[in-house]
Amino acid sequence: MCVSLSLCLVRWSRYNPYYLDPDPSKDARVPESELSPEEKELQELKTVSPIKAALSSDTSSAFNDPLISKFINMMMQDGNKILARGIMTQTLETIKRKQVEKYHKSPAAKREEIECNPYTVFHQALENCKPIIGLASVQKGGKSYQVPVPLTDNRRRFLAMKWLITECRDNKHRRTHMYEKLSQELLAAFANEGNVVKRKHDLHKMAEANRAYAHYRWW
Amino acid sequence: MNLHKLSSRLCPTVTQKFRHLQIQSRGQQLEAVGVETESTEQNPLSVFRTSEQDPTYHSERHTGQYYTLPAAHIQKLFPHGLPPRFQLQIKTFNEGCVMVRPPALELISYLKKADYSKPPLRYILYGDVGTGKTMCLSHALHYCYTQGWLIVHISDAHLWVKNCKELLPSSSRPSRFDQPIQASQWLKNFKITNERFLSKIKTTQQYVWTKRERTEKGQPLGELVDQGVNRMKSSSDVVGAVLRELRLQAGGATEGEGAFKLAVAVDGLNALWGKTSLKKEDRTMSGGAILTALSQTGSLFKPQSAYLPSELLGEEGFDNMEPFVPVSVSNYNEKEFESCYLYYLDRNWLQHSHSRSEEGKKELIFLSNKNPSILERLCAFL
Repeated sequence: MCVSLSLCLVRWSRYNPYYLDPDPSKDARVPESELSPEEKELQELKTVSPIKAALSSDTSSAFNDPLISKFINMMMQDGNKILARGIMTQTLETIKRKQVEKYHKSPAAKREEIECNPYTVFHQALENCKPIIGLASVQKGGKSYQVPVPLTDNRRRFLAMKWLITECRDNKHRRTHMYEKLSQELLAAFANEGNVVKRKHDLHKMAEANRAYAHYRWW
Repeated sequence: MNLHKLSSRLCPTVTQKFRHLQIQSRGQQLEAVGVETESTEQNPLSVFRTSEQDPTYHSERHTGQYYTLPAAHIQKLFPHGLPPRFQLQIKTFNEGCVMVRPPALELISYLKKADYSKPPLRYILYGDVGTGKTMCLSHALHYCYTQGWLIVHISDAHLWVKNCKELLPSSSRPSRFDQPIQASQWLKNFKITNERFLSKIKTTQQYVWTKRERTEKGQPLGELVDQGVNRMKSSSDVVGAVLRELRLQAGGATEGEGAFKLAVAVDGLNALWGKTSLKKEDRTMSGGAILTALSQTGSLFKPQSAYLPSELLGEEGFDNMEPFVPVSVSNYNEKEFESCYLYYLDRNWLQHSHSRSEEGKKELIFLSNKNPSILERLCAFL
């Protein structure tokens, strides 16, 4: 495998399976006394085994959120991370502005229910968009059937993010900015409304309808 | 800790509870406030707010504190002129709060002490990008407005000089170009700000706009302004006429009711001596003041690190503006930063749990270098 001279392509090479992921957070180091025996073993392993190179987008500050980083990577086009990150921060700002405006204009009784933190809104909205069960195409006897299939966590997260992004890119008015479209869609998903949640429900209904083919799955 | 100093200055009994209040969430904050019985302020958290709403009475003991701009004043005084992000902030927080800072206080004290029978003093607010020059200018303008001055406010001179959508060759002077849209927009805003003066001031000479339209001598200024708003083609000439009239009449102190003080505020002054030049500021004026702020952000062909008057104005501009009183605006000091941080906490703007902790605050200081605009942009998504 050739490595170019100017860039170190270590991250994209296939690491040996025993390489561990880097943990940049400040709380990674815990004193020995507070660990259970299994965790002590893990800690021992960390001192001995090699660790993968850290990404340049990971920070040790507590403001670093892996879910948001993943979403930014998915939104990125042609490697323009600066633009994707800018859109993400503008989206968070817009969500916060809308919620805080609502908060300040509402009477004291209703203020407790309004969620102003854009990060919790984002996390909750993503949760509401994640499908529980998916469909896979299985070929049997010359015909292919849509078979309901359990999904791994990574796949569910990926599907939720993908649906959000495609929904905002394709089905909205051409002249609105991406951050505006995203914030509207996220706020709707937070309230369990909107097109993405509808798509998830449609998938669930299809899976429910195709229940009979569940036995075609062999894995 | 600075918090300790701040709180102990105003309300000694609050010190122990203050840290406690700081870190907990909003619901628990309200409970703790209820427990506090012997507080000298109405609300112990308003260390960063002042109840003094009139800029005339702002003094050094108010530095670092926020005062609220009354909504009616915002509508009248600032139809244009406030920075766009600040306008967004007013809309979000449902109130407009401005921090009292030393450069603005300095400016207001000069305005109070100046002698108005002589030609006006010029003040230039200069400073690095995002340090608060336009906000200080707005603070001083609010003072002028409460004192009853007539305000001529050019919100951004760069708008008049570059990226013009429509250019017309001027009818009054052959080598000049006009921008009708900007001129009529400015006249509309001028009308909103200075309603009560428009009927009192009379024109001193006759103006001929076209073959059929003319404004006679002795007509109220309001008509002149309406003429400019309705007829786009001659609006730039109307602007020139309005400025000339105001200049001639500003010092008329002999007639008791006709006397008024004129404040000319220009933001982005360096645009006037840039590539395209508009009318120059003339010196034949008395009974008023000229307040200006430099702005690097819109200026053409100037490097980003240039912020001193000599660099941004250029030689021609410097000679024209001389002599002037320079007022320097810099980043927040620690007390002002504290105040800003507390204000955002109070308005429920800092939502991320880490930003409410001590370490988060240190990170904010590090990332923004206590620059007001960068801090604002950082806190927007945190």
